[in-house]
Amino acid sequence: MPEVKLVNVTKRYGRIIANDHINLTIKDKEYISVIGPSGCGKTTLIKCIAGIIEPDEGEIYIGGRLVNNVPIEDRGIGYVFQNIALFPHMTVWGNITYGPRVRGFPPEETEAIAREMIEMIKVTARVDAYPDELSGGTQQKTAVARALMTRSRLLLLDEPLGALDLKVRAALRYELRRIVKDLGLTALHVTHDQEEAMSISDRVVVMRRGRIIESGRPIELYMRPKKLFTANFVGEANFLVGEVKLITGEGSIIDLGDGMKILSRDRSREMGERVVVAFRPEFASLGRTCENALAGKMTSIIYSGDLVRLHVELPNGDVIVVKRSLRLYEPIPRAGDEVTVSVPPENILVYPYPERGLHRELSLE
Amino acid sequence: MSSRLVVSCTLVTFIIFVMLPTFYLISYVFLRWDEVWYEVFANPIIGDENWRQIIKALIFSFRLSLSTVAFDLIFGVPLAYVLARKRFPGKGLLEDLVTLPLVIPTSGFGFATLVTWTTVAGLGGLLGMRSGLISLNAVAPFINVPFILFIVHVALTFPYVVRTVETKIQSIDMTYEIASRTLGAYSLTTFRNILFPLALPGIFSGAVLAFARSLGETGATMIVSGVSTTASIAIVRWASEFKIPTAAFMGSLLVFIAWVIILPAEIYVSRGRRAHSLSFSVPMNLTRRIIRFERFLSRKLFFIKDIVPLVIVAVAVVIPIAVVLNSVILYWSADPYTGKIEGGVVHQLFGPSNYFSHLLKATLTSIIVALVSTYIATCIAIPISFIIERRWYGRIIRTMLKVPLIIPTSSLGLSVLLLWGSSGLNLVSSGIWMIILTHIVFSVPVVVESIIASYEGSGIQMYEESARTLGATAYNAIEAVSLPLIKGGVFTGFILSFTRSLGETGATFIVMGRDLTIPVLVVNMVEALAIPAALFTSTYLIALSLVMLAIVRVFTQR
Ligand SMILES: Nc1ncnc2c1ncn2[C@@H]1O[C@H](COP(=O)(O)OP(=O)(O)O)[C@@H](O)[C@H]1O
Ligand SMILES: [Mg+2]
Repeated sequence: MPEVKLVNVTKRYGRIIANDHINLTIKDKEYISVIGPSGCGKTTLIKCIAGIIEPDEGEIYIGGRLVNNVPIEDRGIGYVFQNIALFPHMTVWGNITYGPRVRGFPPEETEAIAREMIEMIKVTARVDAYPDELSGGTQQKTAVARALMTRSRLLLLDEPLGALDLKVRAALRYELRRIVKDLGLTALHVTHDQEEAMSISDRVVVMRRGRIIESGRPIELYMRPKKLFTANFVGEANFLVGEVKLITGEGSIIDLGDGMKILSRDRSREMGERVVVAFRPEFASLGRTCENALAGKMTSIIYSGDLVRLHVELPNGDVIVVKRSLRLYEPIPRAGDEVTVSVPPENILVYPYPERGLHRELSLE
Repeated sequence: MSSRLVVSCTLVTFIIFVMLPTFYLISYVFLRWDEVWYEVFANPIIGDENWRQIIKALIFSFRLSLSTVAFDLIFGVPLAYVLARKRFPGKGLLEDLVTLPLVIPTSGFGFATLVTWTTVAGLGGLLGMRSGLISLNAVAPFINVPFILFIVHVALTFPYVVRTVETKIQSIDMTYEIASRTLGAYSLTTFRNILFPLALPGIFSGAVLAFARSLGETGATMIVSGVSTTASIAIVRWASEFKIPTAAFMGSLLVFIAWVIILPAEIYVSRGRRAHSLSFSVPMNLTRRIIRFERFLSRKLFFIKDIVPLVIVAVAVVIPIAVVLNSVILYWSADPYTGKIEGGVVHQLFGPSNYFSHLLKATLTSIIVALVSTYIATCIAIPISFIIERRWYGRIIRTMLKVPLIIPTSSLGLSVLLLWGSSGLNLVSSGIWMIILTHIVFSVPVVVESIIASYEGSGIQMYEESARTLGATAYNAIEAVSLPLIKGGVFTGFILSFTRSLGETGATFIVMGRDLTIPVLVVNMVEALAIPAALFTSTYLIALSLVMLAIVRVFTQR
C-alpha cells in the first residue's frame, strides 16, 4: 500500500538548494537507501516526506494520496532519528506506548501491540528502565519499536545507526532489514555509510548536491556505476585519464599515455574521445594474468587487518591501488620492486572526461 | 600566598558582608523575643493588633503574588515557547521589551503605569474621557487585588518566567517534539506530554523567582498600592514609624518563607531528569476527549499563543513607557488641562521647590552607591565563584546565595540597619555607606550567578588543566587562563548588579537616612503630588536604563 512518490520536490535555504527537483518512487515493501556525502540533502529529503519540512515546490504522494498539506501527525509514518530521541522522562514502556496513547487507542489493545512489538524487535531491556540506562543499540531498537507501534507501514530512518559503535552498527543493520521484511514494511533508510546501504537495501539512491544522480540495485552500483561520482563514492576505484585509440569487436582500446594501453569491454565511447578509466582495486592483481597489464613500481604497502593495499606508481606518475587478501604463502613485493598489474577488461569502466575536471567531479561536497 | 589563606579570607569577607546581613534579622527576633512579643502580640493598649496587621499584609501579599505568578505562567510559558522555537522579524526587540521592566528602576516604572491607567494623561484621555481609565483602587475581579497593582506586578515578574523558561526550552532538543508528532500527537498534546515535563524545572525556577520578586517588590508597589498594604511596604512603613520589633518580626517571617520556597525548589531542580516525570492517570474516555480538544486547539486556535502574550507586553510595558514620554512633553511648560505653569515640568524642576537640584544630588548618590557596591561585590564574587566551582561545599554556598536574591529587599535593609546601625554593632549610621553595605548583599549573588553561567559554558576547567600540565601553578592558571575567559561573565554581572542597585527602592528606604537615591526621590515626588517632576524623573530613569540595556546588548552580541 504505502508507495511513496516524489515529483520535482525542491527545497531551498537561501542560496543553498538542499533538494533540487527530486523525482523518486519507492515501491511498496521496498527497502531503499539514500546515500551521499554529508550536506547533500538526504535529511532534507526524508524530512520532506515526513512533513517535518515543507518543500518549496513539488508534490509528495504517500499511498497515492497527496500529502503536501497534511501535518506530520497525520501522515502515518514511523520515523527513526539519528540521535535516537527517546523521551528521557519516560520509561521504555512509556516510550513504546506513547504513539497509541496520544492517539487514544484502548489500553488493552496498546498493551497487546506493545508486547508483540517488544517480542518482534527483541527489545531486551526491562520495560521500566529509563533510556539513559540502556546501551545505544538497545535504545535505538526501542526507538524502532516506538516508531512502529502506531502500525505505520512506512518507516523512515535518518542515519539510524550513525550514533552507535561499529560492532553494534553492523549487527543492527541486518536486524533492521529483518524487521522491515518480516512486517512487510516500506522503508527509506538514509545513511552516509555506503557499505551499510549496499548490504541491506533492495535499491540504493545516490545523491549529490541536492540531486539524485543515480539509483540501482547494490550490485549494479558496485559493478557498473553509471556515474564517475558513484564509482568513487560506492566502494573504491582507481582513475586514469586517457583517449580512445581504437574500437574493435573485443571492446575499446584506451591510450593512457607513456606507452600504456588498456582494453575495456565498454564500446560506448567514440574514437579519439577523452575519457576516464576506472577500476576497483580488488579486481586488479599482481603479475600478468590477462591481456591488460600495466608495468609500474611499488611505492608502499599498507596492511589493514585481513587486506593488504599495494601502491604502484605508473610510468606517467599516477599511483594506483591494488587490494588483495593477505595470504601467507604468496610473497608480497617490497617497495621499490618493479611489478606488473593486471585488470580483466570486463572490470574496466570507461566514462567521458568530465567538463569540470576529474578532481572536482569526484569531490565529496 | 597560600591558597588556603586566600580561601579563608574570601570566606570570612563573604560571611561578614553577605551572609551575616542576610540572616541577622532572624537572630534579632530570637535575641529580642521579649520586645517582639510585647509589641506584636501583647501590647497593653492595642493588644495583638500588630499581629493582625502582619497576617493581613501577608495574606494580601500572597494573594497578589500567587495570582501574578499564575498569570505569568499561563501567558509567559507560551511566549517563552514562541521565543525559543520560532524565528520571526522583531524577535530581538520583543525580547528586549519583555526584559525592560527588569532594567527600569521599578518606582519609575510603577509611576508610568499609574499615569497610564489612572490619570487623564494616560489611556483615559486617549479614549476621550475626562479622567483616568480606572481608579487607583479598582479591584480586579476573581483574584480580588487592585487592578493596577496586579498589572505592575505582572510586568515586573513576567521577564523572570519568560526568560528562564525560554532558556530552558532552548536547551531541550527539538527532536523530541518532532518525534512526538511523528507518533501522532498534535502540537498541544506534544506540548503537554513532552515539552512541558521536560521544561518543568525551568518553569519552576521561573515561578519561584517571579514569586519572590513580587513578594519583595517595593518601589513600584509603594506608588500604585493605594490603600492596600503588602508585606514589604508594611516593613518599610513600620521601620519608618520606629516599630522596629514588628517590622523585624515581619521581615524574618519573609526570610523564613523565602527559605521554605527555595529549598524544595533547589532539591527538586537538582534531582536530575527523572524527577520531572509527572504521570497523571486519567480515565481513557477523558484522555480521548482531551486529545480531541487539543486537536481542535492545535488546528484552529494555535495562533492565540502568538498573539495574547504580545498584547500583554504591549499593554504592560510599551504603553506605560510611551505614555510617560508623551506626558513629559505635554506637561513641559504648563499643565495642559488647567494651563497653570505651576503644573508644568519646568516650574517644578526649577521653581521654588527646586526638584532639579534634588535630582542632581540623588543622581550623584545613586551612581556612587551603584559603582562602589558593585565594585566591592565583584571583588567578593570572583573568588567566591572559583570556590563554588572547586570546593565540595560550593553547592551549599550557591544555595545560600540564592537567599539574598529572593528575600524582600526591605527585610534585607532592615537586617542591615539592625546589624550595623546604632541598635546593633553601631559601626555605620544610616546614609550612603549603609546603602552601599545593603546593596553589596544582593549584588554579590547577581555577579556570582553570571560568572558561573559564563564559567559553565566555556570549558574553563579543561583549559586550566592544560595550563597546569604545561607547568603553571594553580594560581597562575587562574590568572592567565580563567580570568580572561570569564571576563564576559564578570562584565555582564557588573552591569546587571549596577542596574539593580540603581533601581532598588525597598531596602534603600530603610537605610538611607538623609541620602536619597533617584528611585526613592520618585516615590517622594509622587507622595508630594509633584506629578510633573515625577514624570520627568521617570523619563530620566527610563532613558538611563535604556542606555544600560544598549550597553549589555552591544557587549553580549560580540
Ligand atoms: N535549517 C537550515 N537552514 C539553512 N540551511 C540548511 C538547513 N538545513 C539544512 N541546510 C543545508 O542544506 C543542505 C542539505 O542538508 P541536509 O539535508 O541536512 O544534508 P545531509 O542530511 O545529506 O547531510 C546542507 O548544505 C545544509 O547546510
Ligand atoms: Mg543528515
